[in-house]
Amino acid sequence: MHQKILRIGVPLVAVALTLGTFGGVAMASTSHSSEPTYTIAYEGPLSGGNAQLGLNMKYAVELAIRWANQGKTFGKLPFKLQYAEQDDQGSATESPTAAEALVTNSSVVAVVGPAFSGATKAAEPIFSAADLATVSPSATNPQLADEGWNNFFRVVADDNAQGPYDADYIAKALKLKSVYTVDDASSYGSGLVGALDTRLTHDGVKFTHQTAPGTTQCQAGTGNVQEYGALASQVVSSKAPLLFYGGYYCDFALFAKALRAAGYKGQLMSDDGSLDPHYVSEATLTVANDTLITCACSALQNNAEDNSFGTAFKQLAGFASGTYTPEAFDATNVIISVMKSLGSHVTRAAIVKALHKATYVGITKTIKFETNGNVSGKTIYVYEVEKGKIVELGSTLSLIKSS
Amino acid sequence: MCFTQNFWSFLIGGIANGFLYALIALGYTLVYGVLQLINFAHSEVFMSGGFAGYFVLNAVIGNSHPSGVDSVLLVILGTAAGAVGGATIAYLLERVAYRPLRRRKAPRLAFLISAIGASYFLYNLAGKEFGRNAVSMPAAYTNGTVFTVFGAQVQTYYVVIAIAAMIMLLVLDRIVAATRLGRGIRAVAQDAETASLMGVNIDRVIAQTFILGGILGGAAGFLFGLSSGVVYTMGFTPALKAFTAAVLGGIGNIRGAMLGGLLLGIFENLGVTCAPTEWRDVIAFGILVLVLIIRPTGILGERLGRSA
Repeated sequence: MHQKILRIGVPLVAVALTLGTFGGVAMASTSHSSEPTYTIAYEGPLSGGNAQLGLNMKYAVELAIRWANQGKTFGKLPFKLQYAEQDDQGSATESPTAAEALVTNSSVVAVVGPAFSGATKAAEPIFSAADLATVSPSATNPQLADEGWNNFFRVVADDNAQGPYDADYIAKALKLKSVYTVDDASSYGSGLVGALDTRLTHDGVKFTHQTAPGTTQCQAGTGNVQEYGALASQVVSSKAPLLFYGGYYCDFALFAKALRAAGYKGQLMSDDGSLDPHYVSEATLTVANDTLITCACSALQNNAEDNSFGTAFKQLAGFASGTYTPEAFDATNVIISVMKSLGSHVTRAAIVKALHKATYVGITKTIKFETNGNVSGKTIYVYEVEKGKIVELGSTLSLIKSS
Repeated sequence: MCFTQNFWSFLIGGIANGFLYALIALGYTLVYGVLQLINFAHSEVFMSGGFAGYFVLNAVIGNSHPSGVDSVLLVILGTAAGAVGGATIAYLLERVAYRPLRRRKAPRLAFLISAIGASYFLYNLAGKEFGRNAVSMPAAYTNGTVFTVFGAQVQTYYVVIAIAAMIMLLVLDRIVAATRLGRGIRAVAQDAETASLMGVNIDRVIAQTFILGGILGGAAGFLFGLSSGVVYTMGFTPALKAFTAAVLGGIGNIRGAMLGGLLLGIFENLGVTCAPTEWRDVIAFGILVLVLIIRPTGILGERLGRSA
């Protein structure tokens, strides 16, 4: 009996499915015949140690596309948008393959990403050759803008911008006369602290600079964690009222603990590499409290527009909006805004051209690109650890003004 | 001028680091003594001790904030857990990575490769199972200044390390010098063949040597983790430094490993009173090279059998 049902049932279901599929395609092609479909792709880490940062952005891209299709952000669009993704694990060795896959997918008209600087550097020649626009929400290495890639854009300020703004904040908002600066010997940390030091001199702030290589306690580090004890003693005896650390949260947490254990009472400050809840959990609450952290990225503000974005994001992603989520949302929307202006003439090359002239009011800032792809009007935001939570205080410029 | 500034706080930090190096270095030196080979998987013995201590403390402490006698008991418990974890892994290493090769009379390089393979396997396994992010050890005590020496603050953490390490070093010294096990170790170190003719069970002595080294290394892993947290890559640099310390003191020489560890820790820290921090390793290893040029067998010379 059962067998009989199977014998008849399986072919029936198969036929029904086939009909349904074809029927669906046929219907779509008739009802949307005037409405082409384009794909906006996202490239970033979706697996591996940096996956969380990548997921923060992935769902923002998906949400921006969903809202655009619903007519929520830009009204009625003359096309349908689709989402595609490629996982590069944030690594320079994986990203060329990911880029190749996106370039050969002819429906992809623009890319949000790549997320990481190293991955961007490795992938961009491939995107550039295909004239495929890439808008990165998070790649902050300054050199990326100097490579002459016409298709490269980013919606965050680079590391060179962050250092000087941090220095101005120290000199003019905190009004300090001397600081102690430490970098982690990574290209990111040393570049940022180098720019900070130069600007500190300009602002008339005295500084002592030390390099403490990132440790093997943290990923990709080479240094010995016990270096922090000795360095902490030196910071204490320098009597500098502020310590700036250029590097990532894992090492900063260890160093911060060593500093407090050595009796350092001054202010702790770091950069976007430390903008991670793990900093608080690893350094422990008492150590991390009151730490200042700056970032070219902004948190969601407490206004109605951002609240609806935050709620929708959480619904889609299953976790709350995080670092670089708003930037990824803006990066996607700036692409959609130029596609809307192009109307029925959307091609990869036309999008690159249009992005160079674009102005778009996003949730993080008003986005306009310089000719090298950098975002103009750099804004650096200051955060503070308050009772274990990382909260935004405002932009450096507004904080300097109000001090 | 620069040398005198903060001299005491650097010295104290250096001594604490040195004790940790000494504990780990003993694992290298003991194994070298009986087998004449370097156990390159010892860094993972150290790591295992860190994780064992972490899991036990986490389970016991939970959300409480221990102090007083509880703190002391917890540190002892954690150290013991680390020692058990380290000893277990060290024993397994001996059984899986070394003994089969010894049975087949494999060339010395095969042991080296086997050890490196075991090391990769263990730390990747730990990374996969316990996560890639460092985790902080739950606070067994409140870190603070216990007393000051010439203006330098001595933290609780340093006192914990110094006391724990001194007890373990003294006990080990006595075990090797005055027990049946110690006699066995010394006999195998001096002349394995003759020792076996005299009725010493070589395999058993070697396994016990690994366990002794594992106890010290695992306990060191826990003590290290108390301030720096535990993570799968934690063994790499401390073990490399400890190996250096063992060579500095005279590989195979137990008191040499203790001395080498302490000296390396102190040199490293005092070096950076004058030079920038990134010179730390350059100074430490520069001194090592100088010592080895003058005394190629290390400060106290080689051989476990003779000098202990």
